[in-house]
Amino acid sequence: MNSGKRKNNKKERVTPKEFSEKKLNFTKITEGKKERTEEEELKQARNALLNILEDTEEARKIAVEERNKTLTIIQNFADGILVFDEKNNLELINPLAEEFLGVKKEEIIQKNISELSETPKFKHLIKLLDSFPEGKAIKSIFREELPLRENLFLEITTLPLIMESNLKGTLTILHNVTREKNIEKMKTEFVSISAHQLRTPLSAVKWTIRMILDGDVGEISNEQRDLLQKTYLSNERMINLINDLLNVTRIEEGKLLYEPKLAQLEDIVWSVAGNFKQEIKRKKIDFKFKKPSQALPKVKVDQEKIKLAVENLIDNAIRYTFPKGKVEISFRCPDKVIEFKVKDSGVGIPKDKQERIFTKFFRGPNVIRMETEGTGLGLYTTKNIIEAHKGKIWFESEEGKGTTFYFALPTEE
Amino acid sequence: MAKKILLIEDEEIMLNLLQRKLTQENYEVLIARDGQEGLEVMEKELPDLVLLDIIMPKKGGFEVMEEMGKIPKLKNIPVIIVSNSGQPVELDRARKLGAKDWLIKTEFDPQEVIDKVVKQIGK
Repeated sequence: MNSGKRKNNKKERVTPKEFSEKKLNFTKITEGKKERTEEEELKQARNALLNILEDTEEARKIAVEERNKTLTIIQNFADGILVFDEKNNLELINPLAEEFLGVKKEEIIQKNISELSETPKFKHLIKLLDSFPEGKAIKSIFREELPLRENLFLEITTLPLIMESNLKGTLTILHNVTREKNIEKMKTEFVSISAHQLRTPLSAVKWTIRMILDGDVGEISNEQRDLLQKTYLSNERMINLINDLLNVTRIEEGKLLYEPKLAQLEDIVWSVAGNFKQEIKRKKIDFKFKKPSQALPKVKVDQEKIKLAVENLIDNAIRYTFPKGKVEISFRCPDKVIEFKVKDSGVGIPKDKQERIFTKFFRGPNVIRMETEGTGLGLYTTKNIIEAHKGKIWFESEEGKGTTFYFALPTEE
Repeated sequence: MAKKILLIEDEEIMLNLLQRKLTQENYEVLIARDGQEGLEVMEKELPDLVLLDIIMPKKGGFEVMEEMGKIPKLKNIPVIIVSNSGQPVELDRARKLGAKDWLIKTEFDPQEVIDKVVKQIGK
């Protein structure tokens, strides 16, 4: 409608620029013909002015329309949206966010974040927003999952609204991930149940072969023994694989931390490292365990799980280091954390694969060539364990030179 | 006289293997295929030791132990758990109910079961 109208008007319309040009022409023309009246001149000016006003009005209408359109989009958006201004006052909340949080817009709009944190419905969200790495001034995109109530899982994304390099506030997006969460849970339960079911026949196979090998059911020939021994080992591999799967699902089920107790990390690591003595000897690895000169502050851990994490890291270091290579374990104790470090001179992680190293079932192409066995669950599990202890895990690696894995656990104050 | 061991296990092949192994070691072996039957045999025979599975039909291993605790003549019979699973929560519960030992089937060989039995009640 509008554009049509504009088209029709075009012939009569004179923009200010055209107007001044026309006026010039007009003057030129009138040089010879004095009969042109001032009245006509004024008429032209008036028309031009009216056109300008009309243009402005139209621009205003378009702006309002644009604004309404944007607001309508926000109001009807499939995600919950909250906008805080630069003083952390709530500037905008859309209906879906109201529904998620169980609040009414009128009761909370324009209130400050600190005031909102006192209302029970907002408490969890604000607590999360407050836990940003940079404190309240959010500078970068931040993502976290929030279980808000029974059957409502939100993924919270917060990002700064920056206009011409000034922080104008923050945008918080609440994305409903309940369905994904439920599917994830079902998947976990499925794996857990099947793993349990698979273990039963595997133990039957294990025990049967063992008893035949032990001669419990009569003598066997050397050839039979040889075949059965191989079968026994294959079965053991299968058991290990199932155990890995079970560990992963247990962690995902949140069953992970079982009665965390105070412990000396260096003692745990020492006992785990002991399990690798034979392998270290077999591969002639130069293995160093740098025991801290004095006892480290204690950490609160689920011993069984931390052992599993340490075992995975040491196992990787030894497994992916060629014979006569080096593996070194050491500790550091910077501010309020204990840092564990295992450095190897192994095959390293290719640069383009480093991003995926903690992903479930991922194995580097160079290690697959080296050791065909392996589930790709070790580092995934390890990361989950460390994070369940509120710790951090990271690494440095160069292909062909070696890898250093670190993790840091908070100490008990 | 040979010592009496009661095997409570629902899986035929495991039952078979363990029975064979224990008989070879000169133990008298009694068997039950679920928790309910296990308790009945126990009261009648008063075994020297019970090898107990956890997940079983009718009555699971934990329930068997709970009921044993309420019956004075069964209370002090040593129990070794032989299970497919071995989560810390389960181990803890079994320990609190008085289990002497715990074996995860996939992690042990039959000979090690015998070793544990010998450790509890001797040959």
